[in-house]
Order: sequence, then C-alpha cells, then structure tokens
Amino acid sequence: MDFSHDILPLKNVLFRTALRITLNREDAEDIVQDTLLKLWERRDTLGNIQNLEAFAITAARNLALDRKELAHNKVIPLNEQEHDQPDKHQLSVHESLVQEEKINHIFELINQLPEKQRTAIQLREIEGKTYREIADIMNTTEADVKINIYRGRNFLKNHCNFSAAEPSSL
Amino acid sequence: MNYQYIEQLIERYFECQTTLHEEQILRTFFAGEDVPGHLMQYAELFQSEVNAKAETLGDEFDRKMLALVQEESNKTVQKQKRTTEKPQNRATEHRLAPFFRAAAVVAIALTVGRATDHALRDQAAEGTEDAIAIDPYIRQADIQNAIRVKDISQAKAKPQTDSLIVQPLNETMQ
Repeated sequence: MDFSHDILPLKNVLFRTALRITLNREDAEDIVQDTLLKLWERRDTLGNIQNLEAFAITAARNLALDRKELAHNKVIPLNEQEHDQPDKHQLSVHESLVQEEKINHIFELINQLPEKQRTAIQLREIEGKTYREIADIMNTTEADVKINIYRGRNFLKNHCNFSAAEPSSL
Repeated sequence: MNYQYIEQLIERYFECQTTLHEEQILRTFFAGEDVPGHLMQYAELFQSEVNAKAETLGDEFDRKMLALVQEESNKTVQKQKRTTEKPQNRATEHRLAPFFRAAAVVAIALTVGRATDHALRDQAAEGTEDAIAIDPYIRQADIQNAIRVKDISQAKAKPQTDSLIVQPLNETMQ
C-alpha cells in the first residue's frame, strides 16, 4: 500500500462528496485530510476491503455528517433550519469558470436539497456511480437511493425550468 | 440529429430509468454546440454537472498530506523501535534475575536479622533496665543502707548487747 499511489488519488472524489455535505471548502479539506490519514494508519488492514474508494467515501461522509451535526448543535441559525446555505467561499470556487452565474445557480439549487438527495445526486451525476454503489456508500437500499435521486433531479428540473423561463417572460 | 432520442433520454433521466452510459450521452450532447432552443433549459443541469469535476484539491494539499504521512510513518517507526527495544530490556532483566533474587534474599536476611537482633536487644535492654533502674540505685542503696544499718545495728547491737549486759550494772549504778 503506497500513499501517493493508492490513497492520495482519492482526494478529489472525497473532497467533492464532503463539500456537498459541509458546503464549506475548509471543512471539506479537513475531512479529506482526516479520512486519508485514517486510511493510511489502517493500511495493513485495507487489503481486505474490496472497494477502497467506496469505503473511503463512506468514511468521509460519516466524518462530514458528524461535523455538520456538531456545528448544528452549537448554533441553530433561525434562517437555515430548512436548507443549508453555501458560504461565500464555496461560491468563489467556480469564479474562474465560463458560465459562472449559471453554474452557481445550479449549485445553489443542489445545495438546497436535503443531504441524502444531495449526496446521492453528487455520487450519481458527478462521480458516475451505480445505484448499487451509492446504496453501499450511503448504507441504504438501492430503492432508497433511486427515490432520493428522483426527487433531487425533479427539484432541479423544476427550478431550472423556472430560471430558463424567466428571460422569455420578460 | 434525432432529438426524439435525446428527448426520450431526458424523460427517462427524470424517471431514474437511464443507465450511467445514457446519462453520459446526455452530458456529451449538452456539452456540444447544437443544442436546440427547446432543450436549452436542461443544458444548465447537464453542463454544470460536468463542470463540478473542477472542484479539486491542489498540489499544496498533496504536499501537506505527504508531510503528515511522513510524520505518521516516522512515529510508527519509532514505535516499532520501542517495541523491539523492549525485548532486549527483558533479556537483560532475565540475565540479571539471579542477582536480583540473591539481592532480595540478602535484603530479607538482613532485615530479619536486624529485626530479631533489635528485638533481642530490646528485651535485654528491658532486663538490664530493670536491674539498673530499680535494683542498683534503689535496692543497692537499700542494700547499702541495709548493710549500713545492719553494720550500725550490729555495731550498736554489740554495745547494746554490751549495754544490755551492762545495763543492769548502770541501772544499778544509777
């Protein structure tokens, strides 16, 4: 087991998954760091794990959820009870991209989804995972994953339609 | 291009009926130039999902991680060293065990010896204390007195006996 070759390449998929949950770049980076270090510390037992990437994503997600819960217990923002809001730093990630506004808009929409839908959508659309893999990562059933993705996609569709219809109605 | 196929794929996509491969076809289609107006509303959705891959951690993160891992493996090496050192210590302990045992036996013997010696001396001291504190000064004095008294009384007794003998003479003289 070599760190640079076997573990470090997981950083980006872990980062995106954690970012989708925490909505904060720094927190997501911390989570990736913790996850990778834990994997490295347990390198002797990792040979028994069939899908290291799925295992790592599960670990990162659990860390992210724990952190989120901790933060949530500390401060309960009155205006953020329904939906998690991305911080300004998170939004600046996409500044360099061409369709900055549109992408920000779709990410804002994704970030408004409940965590389960958000993570399932992330793993399906961005990381290209099968329903089975997502179910394993999220420790749930394929049917549950499908429902979450179904709801997420349709929420995005309805809100995309709305934003696309806006200019034509003006 | 047959948009019917794309439209059908979009419909199935929102029903979660598409395969990963079909979803990739949709992304490729929306990444292209020839997206018709009536499908533009979905472009945003499929394009942004491709662009989300841009969310990455840079080289600086790699450097930080490698430094941390180096630190961690140094620690484990030290730990391993410590664990290999321990048996050596145990071996020296084994080798020295007879000496420790001998030392312990000597220590016990000394302690017991000293204790019994002390106890005996205490007893002896108690005995002599009796003899010295009570007998020599009081009894000896008594004895000396007694002797003196005896001497005196003997000395007196002699004259007394004399006087007793003489008394009648004195009485008779008076």
